[in-house]
Amino acid sequence: MEKPVVVLGLGNPLMADEGIGVYVVERLLESAAEYPAVEFVDAGTGGLSILYQIEERRKAVMIDCAFMDEPPGTIRRFTPEEVESRKVLAHQSLHEADLMRIIAMARQLGQAPDEIVLFGIQPERVEPQLGLTQTLMGRIDEYISMILHELGT
Amino acid sequence: MSNRTVNINVHHVTRIEGHGNIVVNVTNGKIEKLQWQVPEAPRFFEAMVRGRSYEDIQTIVSRICGICSISHSLAATKAVENATGIQVSEQVDTIRLLMHYSEQLQSHVLHVGYLVAPDLFGLPSVVPLVAAAPGPVKTIIGLHRLANEWSALLAGRITHPVTLRPGGMTKIPTEKQLRELQDRLKKCLPDLKAVAEVVLSVAGNIPKFDRPTEYVALKEANSSRYAFYHGEIASTDQKDTVAINDWKTVANEYVSDQSTSKWAKWHRASYAVGALARFNINADLLSPTAKAVAQMFALKKGCCNPYFNSVAQIVEAVHVVETSIEMIDKLLTKGLKQETVAVSPKPGKASGAVEAPRGILFHEYEFDRKGNCMSADLCIPTTQNHANIQKDIEKLVPEILDEPEDKIRLKLEMLVRAYDPCVSCSTHMLDVKFVR
Repeated sequence: MEKPVVVLGLGNPLMADEGIGVYVVERLLESAAEYPAVEFVDAGTGGLSILYQIEERRKAVMIDCAFMDEPPGTIRRFTPEEVESRKVLAHQSLHEADLMRIIAMARQLGQAPDEIVLFGIQPERVEPQLGLTQTLMGRIDEYISMILHELGT
Repeated sequence: MSNRTVNINVHHVTRIEGHGNIVVNVTNGKIEKLQWQVPEAPRFFEAMVRGRSYEDIQTIVSRICGICSISHSLAATKAVENATGIQVSEQVDTIRLLMHYSEQLQSHVLHVGYLVAPDLFGLPSVVPLVAAAPGPVKTIIGLHRLANEWSALLAGRITHPVTLRPGGMTKIPTEKQLRELQDRLKKCLPDLKAVAEVVLSVAGNIPKFDRPTEYVALKEANSSRYAFYHGEIASTDQKDTVAINDWKTVANEYVSDQSTSKWAKWHRASYAVGALARFNINADLLSPTAKAVAQMFALKKGCCNPYFNSVAQIVEAVHVVETSIEMIDKLLTKGLKQETVAVSPKPGKASGAVEAPRGILFHEYEFDRKGNCMSADLCIPTTQNHANIQKDIEKLVPEILDEPEDKIRLKLEMLVRAYDPCVSCSTHMLDVKFVR
C-alpha cells in the first residue's frame, strides 16, 4: 500500500542549482522517521515516471528548480492552478519534460492526488557543475523548514 | 519535382534545454538547405568524473539521463570492471541484465505510447490522446508502472540506480520478489500484445520511406542471445565484429558545421543505432512471441524504413519480457546466493558498452593506481544517429516535396521522433508565470 503523501525532489545534481530538489529531498530523508505517512523520493530527471509516483496518493509535494522571475534563492509555494507553464516543448523526444503538463495529464487520467503542492526555487545558475551555488546552499534550512511545515499541517 | 517554395524551420528556443532544429529551405523547387541542427550534447559530464574514485563513477553518470540512467550506469560499471580487471559472477551478470531489460521496457513503452502513438492517431501530443483512446493509454501506463517497479526492485529506485558497484551489487532481490515479478511479467504479455494490436490498427499512418544505411549494434558470438548487454560491435556492412575497446574505430566522431554535438560515421556517410539496428543484426534470436509480433507488422530483417524503429521497439518490449520470465526461472532453479566481492583498484584504461534503448552506448575511462579517474570519454546513441537523421532528411524531402507543407513538416518531425534523440535530458526545470 502506497503511503498517502509523497514528496518528490526533482532535478539534476550535475547541473548546479537544477539539482535543488534532489538535495532538499536528501536532507528531508534525515527526518523521514518522524513522518511515517510520507514517502520521500529522489525522482531525479525521471520525467513521466512522476505519473506513476503520484498515483493513488492523497497529496503530492514537489520540489523543483523554477524560473519564476524572482531573485535567485527565492522559494515559492504554489498549486498547479496558480501558474502557467512558459515551456515550449519540441515533442521530439521523451527527454523533454514539463512538470506542469505531466500534472495536467495525471488529472485527465483521474490519477492525480486531490492535493498537489509545488515548491519552486529560483536558481542562480544552471550549468554543468556538481553542487549548488552558495546562494541556494545558504538557504537550505529555510527550504527544509518550509516543506516540513507543509507536511505537518 | 514542382516549382514550389517551402520553408520549414522547426526551431525551438527555450532558455536552457537544447532541441534539434529541422531546417528546410526550398525555392522554386530548388533545394537550398536541408539540415538537422543539433545545438548540444551531454559531453561536459566527462569532466565531472575526472578525479573521482572508480567506485563513484556509475552513480555520477546515472544522472546524465533520466530515461536511460540504468544504461549509463551499466556501461560505466562494465568499463570500470574492464579497466581494473574485475570479474563478476554469473548471478550478478544475470541480475544486471534483468535490470537492463526493465529499462528497455520502460523506455520503449513510453516512446511508443507517449511520443509515437499521437502521430499515428493524428493528434498533436499525448494529452489529447488520453481523451481519444483512454483504454490504450491506461494500458501503457500500467506497463510503464510495471517496468518502473521492475527497475526499482533491481536498481534500488526507479531512475538513477543505486545498487550497482564495481564487482557486484549492493543489494539483490529475494526469491519471493523475483517470483512475484515473474508472475507480473507473465500477466503483462497480453497487455503488450494489445498495445501491438492498437499500433497495428493505425500502422497505415507510418510513412512509407526506405533508405538503405549501415546498422550497428552489439552481437554475441556463438550465442543464442539477442544482444543488449554482452558481445562485440557488429555492423550490417561487415562480417567481423569489433572489440568494445576499439569503439573509436567504429564511431569515428567528427565535428559537423551545423552542430555543436559530434557526429559519427563508419563504412558509409552515416550509420544508425537503436531498436531497428538491433533487429536488423539479431532478429533471428528474438523470443517466439516477439517474432510473432514482428510478423504482424511484416517487419523483416533488412528493413530500412527508419519510422519502423518504433515497431522494432514493440517487438523488443515483448522480447525482454518473455526472456526475463525464463531468466528468472534459471536464477530461482540455481538459488540466489549472497556474494561478497573484494575489489582493489588497479591502474588501467578500458571501455564498456551496452545497448541503451536508443542504441549502442560507449563509455571509456582511465584510472590511476589509486583508482581515481584520469579521463573519460562517452559516446551516446544520439551522437551516432545524427548523421543518419541528416541523410534521411536529404532523401526524404525531395520525395515528399509535392505534399502540403504541414505534411512535410509532420513527416520530418515524426522522423526525428522515431530516433527519440537525447538532446535535452539533463535538465527538466520548471518555467512558470504566476496567473493568480
